[in-house]
Amino acid sequence: MTRAIPRWLIVFTGIVLFLMHLPVLVLVVFSFNSSKFAVDWTGFTTHWYARLAEREDIVNALRNSLIVGVTATIIAVALGTLIALALARHRFRGKTLYEGLMYVPIVTPEIVTGISLLVMFVFLRFPLGLTTIVVAHVAFSIPFVVVVVMARLAGMDENLEEAAMTLGADEITAFRKVTIPLLWPGIISAALLTFILSFDDFVITSFVAGSGSSTLPLVIYSMVRRNIEPSINAISTLIVLATTILLYVAEQLTREKKAHA
Amino acid sequence: MGPGTLWMLAFFAIPVIVMCGYSFMPRGTYGGVDPGFTLEAYARFLHPVYLTILERTFVVALVCTVLCALTGYPVAYAIARSTKWRTLLLFLVVLPFWTSFLVRTFAMIFLMRDTGLINTWLLRLHLIQQPLTMLYTPFAVLLGLVYGYLPFMILPIYASLEKLDTSLLEAAEVLGARPTARFLRVTLPLSTPGLIAGSLLVFIPSLGSFLTSDLLGGAKGLLVGNLIQNQFSTARNWPFGSAASLILMTLVLIAVLIYLRLRLRPE
Amino acid sequence: MLEAVIDRRAFLARALALGGTAALLDACRSLTDTRTPAQDAAEAAESLGPMEKHLAIYNWSDYVPPETIPAFEKEFGVKVTYDVYESNEEMLAKLITGASGYDLVFPSSYAVTVLIATGLAGPIHRQYLTNWDNVAPLFLNPVFDPGNAHTVPWQWGVTGLAFRSDLVPRPDSWRVLMDARYRGKMTQMDDGRDVIGSWLRYRGHSLNSRDPHELAAAESDAITVKKNLKAYISAPVKGQLISGDVWIAQLWNGDASQAKVEQPAIDYVVPKEGCTIWMDSVVMPRNARHKRAAHEFMNYILRPDVGAAISDFTGYGTPNQAAMSRIAHPVPYPTPAELTRLELQVDLGRDTALWDQIWTEIKSA
Repeated sequence: MTRAIPRWLIVFTGIVLFLMHLPVLVLVVFSFNSSKFAVDWTGFTTHWYARLAEREDIVNALRNSLIVGVTATIIAVALGTLIALALARHRFRGKTLYEGLMYVPIVTPEIVTGISLLVMFVFLRFPLGLTTIVVAHVAFSIPFVVVVVMARLAGMDENLEEAAMTLGADEITAFRKVTIPLLWPGIISAALLTFILSFDDFVITSFVAGSGSSTLPLVIYSMVRRNIEPSINAISTLIVLATTILLYVAEQLTREKKAHA
Repeated sequence: MGPGTLWMLAFFAIPVIVMCGYSFMPRGTYGGVDPGFTLEAYARFLHPVYLTILERTFVVALVCTVLCALTGYPVAYAIARSTKWRTLLLFLVVLPFWTSFLVRTFAMIFLMRDTGLINTWLLRLHLIQQPLTMLYTPFAVLLGLVYGYLPFMILPIYASLEKLDTSLLEAAEVLGARPTARFLRVTLPLSTPGLIAGSLLVFIPSLGSFLTSDLLGGAKGLLVGNLIQNQFSTARNWPFGSAASLILMTLVLIAVLIYLRLRLRPE
Repeated sequence: MLEAVIDRRAFLARALALGGTAALLDACRSLTDTRTPAQDAAEAAESLGPMEKHLAIYNWSDYVPPETIPAFEKEFGVKVTYDVYESNEEMLAKLITGASGYDLVFPSSYAVTVLIATGLAGPIHRQYLTNWDNVAPLFLNPVFDPGNAHTVPWQWGVTGLAFRSDLVPRPDSWRVLMDARYRGKMTQMDDGRDVIGSWLRYRGHSLNSRDPHELAAAESDAITVKKNLKAYISAPVKGQLISGDVWIAQLWNGDASQAKVEQPAIDYVVPKEGCTIWMDSVVMPRNARHKRAAHEFMNYILRPDVGAAISDFTGYGTPNQAAMSRIAHPVPYPTPAELTRLELQVDLGRDTALWDQIWTEIKSA
C-alpha cells in the first residue's frame, strides 16, 4: 500500500540512470565503428583496438599506470589499514580531530593537492618521475582506505579477538588468525578501489609526472586535445571494462561481509 | 598508525605549508620565487577580474549542486524504496563514479560537438536546420559538471533514506497525513543529513574543477581551477598560484566547517 | 629558487647542517645566470663522453615524422623517450622545475631568451656538429642567441589564418574574425601572446608592445572578437578544420599543411597587417644526462635527407639549405618585402605579468 513507488518516479529514475550511462555507452559502441570521423556507422571493426597495441606511447603509459597502481595500492592499503585499526580500537587524545583531519584530503580539490605536491618536490629538488606519482597517489588514497576498512571494522565483532585470547592465543596470533581473515574482504575491497582511483587519476598525476613517466590518463588527455579519433574510444572502452570488473569484484566481496554479519 | 600518519604529514601537510610559504614570496622574473616577504600575491587577487572569477566559480558550483540535488534526490528516493532492484540500481549509480572522469568528459565531447552524434541525428530528423552549438558553452560546462558529480549526491542521500525508520511513516499515515505531507514532514527532514553531505561532496570538487571547463568550455571562461593551473604553467607566477590555491582551500574548509556545524546541531 | 648552479648534494648537506630558515632562503634563490660567456665557451670546448644508451626528447606535438626517431635509434643504438607539449609555456614550466629529466627541448625565439637568462640552456659543443655548414646564413647568429652558443635551428614558420576555401572566401585581414557571419565558426589560439599580438598588429603596433594604451586597445578588440569565437584552441583545431566544425582558425602554417593532406580545401593566408614569424631551435638543457646522444641527434637532423623529411612532414620552413632541394613543397624563405610584415616574438621580461593579466581578463570576459 504505502510501498508502491509512484509511476512518474520510476520513469524519472529510469531516464536519469539511462542518461548517466548514455555517453559512455555511445563511446563504447563507436569504438567499433570503422569510420574515422564517427557518427556514421560504416561497419564493425576492431581495427582501432589493434592500433592501440601499435602505439608505443600507449603501451608505455599502460605499463606505467599498472606499476604505479599496484605499488601505490600496496603501500596505501598497508598504511591505511594500520591507521584504521588504531582509530577503531584505541582511544587517545585528539582522536576526533585526527579523524576529521583524515577527511580533509578527500575534500581538498585535486588541483590544490597536485600543485602543493609539485611545489614541495621542486623545493626539495626531487626529480619528477614514477616515484613522485606513487607518492602522490598514496597520499590521496590513504583516507579512502581508512574509511573503507573502518566501515568493515565497525561491522566486526571485537569480542571475537578477545575470545580467541581467552582461549589461549596471544595477541599477535589472535590478530593473525582472527582479525585479519575477517578483515580481509574489506582490505581487498579497499585495495581494488585504491587501484581504480590511482589508475584513473589525471589531475594530480599531471602535475607530478616527469619525462617518460606518462600514465594512461595523461596520454588520453593529450589524445583528446589533439585529434578526436576512435582510438580514444577504444582505450576508453578498455578502461571502463577494467573498472567495471574490478568494481564488481569489490562489490561481491563487500556483499559477502553482509552475509557473514 | 605511525608510518601512515608520517606519510600524510610528509606528503599532505608539508606540501601545503610549503605552498603557503611560496604565496608570501615575490615572483621570480622567469618563474619560481625570489627570497623575501610580500603580500603582493594576495593583493593582486583583490583585482576585480580575479574576484569575478571567484564569484563565477562560486555560482557555477552552487548551480551545479542545486541541479544535482533536484535530479539526485528523486533517484535516491526511488532506490531506497525499491527492494528487488536495489543492488543493481546502486551498482548503476556507483559505476560512473568510479569510471575515469576524463573518459566521461570525452564522451560528452563526442556527443555534443557540432558534428557529433546529437547534432547529426537532430539534423537528420529535420528537427533543426543548423547544428546546435552545445560544446564550448557554459551550458556544456554545467552539464559536464552535473554528469560528473551526480553520483556523489545520490549515494549520501540514499544512505540517509535507507536508515529511515518506516514505522514513522506508518504512524503518520495512521494519523491521517496525506502522502505529500508525509514526505514533507517526515521523510525530507530526516534525510537532510544525507542531502547536506551530498551537497558538500558536489559543491567542493566543483569549486576546484578545471578539467571540465578546459575541455568542454573551449578555454573561453575561467574558473578558479583554470586560473590556478595557468599560474603554474603559462603565467609562471608561482606565488600568485599558491595564494589562489590557499584561498580556494580556505573556502573549502569554511564549507566543511559549516557542514560540521549543521551536522552536530541537535535534532 | 631553482638555481641550476647549486649542486643538489651540497644543498642537502647544507640544509641538514644549517636547519630550517637558512635552507629555506638558500632554496629560494631566484634564477640568475652566474655563468659568463667565457665559462660557457670553455665548457663548450670540452669533449663529451661516449655515446649513451638513452635520450629523452621533449618536443611540440606533430613536429617529427614517424620514421625519424626509429631510424636514429637504429643507427646509433640508443633508446629514445619522446614526450610532447602544446606551448612554450608548458615546456618552460616543466624545465624551470629543474627536475624534468629531458635532454633536448625545442623552444621558440622568446623561450630561448628565458632559457639562456635562467642558465637552463646548456652550451653547444660545436665540434660534434659535423653537419653545421648546412645551416643557411639567414639563420646563423639569431638575435636571441648570438653565435648560436646554445641553439641549433630547427624549423621556422608563421602564425596566420587557416581557412576552409570551400566554406568561406579568402580572408585578407584579422578583421575577418569580427565578421558576425562566421560567428561560432572561428577560433584563435589558446595563447595570450598570439591572441594579443594579432590585435596589436591589427592596429599597426608591434606584437611585442609594452605600451599600456596599445595593449588596452588590443585587449578591447580581443574581447569584442571573443563573441564570435567558438573556442581558444591551438594545434588541436586541425581535427575541427578537417571535419568542418571550424571554418577559420588562427594557426601555424605547417599544421595547416598537415590538415590539408586530409582535407584539400584547407588553405592559408598571412593577414595584410602582418603576423608572427617564429623560429624554433633545439636546445640541450644544462642538466641533461645524455649530452653526447643529444649532440648526435642535433647533428643527425642537420643531414640533408633528414632535414628534408622533417620539413616534408611538418610543412614548415627548414633552416637547412642543403635540404631545400629535396623537399617536395618547400616553404620559400621570406622576401625582404614580406619580412616587413612579419615580426619575431621577443621575451617580455617583467611585463609578462602585465600581458598575463590582460589575457586573464580576456578569458574571463
